[in-house]
Amino acid sequence: MSDFLRDYLIVGLFGVVAFGLVATFIGLASFIRPDRPTAEKLENYESGVDPVGSGWSQSQIRYYIFALLFVMFDVEAVFIFPWATRLEAYGMFGLIEMMIFIFILALGLAYAWRKGVLRWV
Amino acid sequence: MIGANLLGSSFGGVLAQIEQTPFVRPHIDWHAVAPELVLLAGGALVTVVDVIGLEKVRRIIPSLTSLVFLAAFVPVLTLWNQQGDLPRVMWDGAYVVDNYSLVLKGLFLLSGYVIVLLSTNYMLEGDYYDSEYYQLISASVLGMLVMTSARDLVSIFVAIELVSIPAYLMAAWRKRDLKSNEAGLKYMLMGVFASALLLYGMSLLYGMAASTKLTDIAAALSIGESKPIFTLAIVFTVVGFGFKVSAVPFHTWAPDTYEGAPTPLTAFLAVASKAAGFVALLNVVIIGFPGQADVVEPLMWVLAAATMTVGNLIAIRQTNIVRMLAYSGVAQAGYMLAPLAVFGDRPGQATSAVVTYLVIYAAMNLGAFAVVIIAARKTGSGEISSYGGLFNYAPGLTVAMTLFLFSLAGIPPVGGWYAKFEIFRVLTDGGSGAGVSLAIIAAVNSVFAAFYYLAILKQMWFMPAPDGDHSRISIPPSLQAALGVTVFVTIVTGSVLIGPLSDITKLADLALP
Repeated sequence: MSDFLRDYLIVGLFGVVAFGLVATFIGLASFIRPDRPTAEKLENYESGVDPVGSGWSQSQIRYYIFALLFVMFDVEAVFIFPWATRLEAYGMFGLIEMMIFIFILALGLAYAWRKGVLRWV
Repeated sequence: MIGANLLGSSFGGVLAQIEQTPFVRPHIDWHAVAPELVLLAGGALVTVVDVIGLEKVRRIIPSLTSLVFLAAFVPVLTLWNQQGDLPRVMWDGAYVVDNYSLVLKGLFLLSGYVIVLLSTNYMLEGDYYDSEYYQLISASVLGMLVMTSARDLVSIFVAIELVSIPAYLMAAWRKRDLKSNEAGLKYMLMGVFASALLLYGMSLLYGMAASTKLTDIAAALSIGESKPIFTLAIVFTVVGFGFKVSAVPFHTWAPDTYEGAPTPLTAFLAVASKAAGFVALLNVVIIGFPGQADVVEPLMWVLAAATMTVGNLIAIRQTNIVRMLAYSGVAQAGYMLAPLAVFGDRPGQATSAVVTYLVIYAAMNLGAFAVVIIAARKTGSGEISSYGGLFNYAPGLTVAMTLFLFSLAGIPPVGGWYAKFEIFRVLTDGGSGAGVSLAIIAAVNSVFAAFYYLAILKQMWFMPAPDGDHSRISIPPSLQAALGVTVFVTIVTGSVLIGPLSDITKLADLALP
């Protein structure tokens, strides 16, 4: 077998090992775990509360919008905290950079506000 | 315990070190990043105008966006005029503005401009959110501009996500249509999967080079011993990009996404977004893996041969013109991958062949989509059979479409033949068996491709209109402009402007370190 094919053989082996690992672990587990299916075990689990209705019920779209807006400010905080600890070193340059960053994010909030997304209907 | 101590002390040490290092303000060449900054500021301006004016400004948003694209084109021209200063290198070599990136920046900005022209009426007449659409287009094109200059894995990844994420949203823009939802979801799932593969390959590369810079990776790969790991890293990286450029066997998302997405956006995906994937691939392969040609070339050979053959064979059977253009786009991607199968001894020539192809492909494919959008305004259909009788009621449009199809098939004197010629030249110049065999496969494929392109011509010129309706098509000004630009570029690149074009693309060699 040529060197070249052997190099690519590694790629194939890599895939085989990846599938093999998962198959082995799930297979082994099925030998040693107790198997006592009951109706309760098949129910949806949600924080210990008894499930009501089916698993495909619709949830309020407004939660999704608030989650998105939350992510926006969460990411902002992730960048602002480390920046704040070193603000003296960054000086005016760092301040202006961060102002531009905050401006772009604030634009997102202004957009959401003007489009009436923040109204709790 | 000891480990914890070690970890704690070294972590504290790193922190202390960071606190003691004085902050050095990075050198920023404002002129070199001006196109990106103009586009960023312009995108923010569009949002501000939309936030202030809401419904009142709805009609001016498309014009404003197209002005932003043209404004961003100005610094590209001024940079081109100061070629003496090129390449302009920033952030320790992670961001390079050279001839190559300028040519492609110009291409992306002009494609973005044409896409906005194509979208204007489509978005105004349908019941869509439209200012958001233009903001997302600007964001996506911004990612493409960054991509042309990115010489570092992190900036390449950020750029490719900035290109893709707005495109996932826009693919699902016709939100009351199930097909469009399917398009967006499929595109997003496959795109995210591709990003995961890409990141995995990149993490292996970083593990070997201890640097994300492509030049450092090239150096580390050339002295390293551990060949299998290189191969693994290269395969994962190339496969990740393979999804983005819809190379076979990673093309499965393309036809469904192209059919379901709004047609102007399909043009955007088929041209600009695909070109961005190619730019990323060129950057990584030519700068990052120059010494690994023995690993990359066979992979590219297989991808190119499979992509052009499968793309063409499936395209022959399509009855919907958008799906046909999607599969023909897959086949065209195969031609564009071909030079990378022989890049080892002629990286410069291979790069300029791909760049030439990208420029001409953008013009002819955007033009073909412009005709599809115009024809659908009358027929409301994307079926090839609905093109019957087009010559009787829209002769000008038929001639334009004929030019684009000739160009796609590679028939002189329109642009496409020169693009194919460059590909064949780079494949056969070295006289290597791999290059010549790929050239033969490409030639056979060109004949296949001519078959289905000419079938549309037959429909347009000789068949009667299916519903006997011969009323004329009114073409709104923005679509006329788009058609004008694409017809002009398609014609001149194949005849008058071959000289200047080849000069420009020859300059477009990547500035190799």
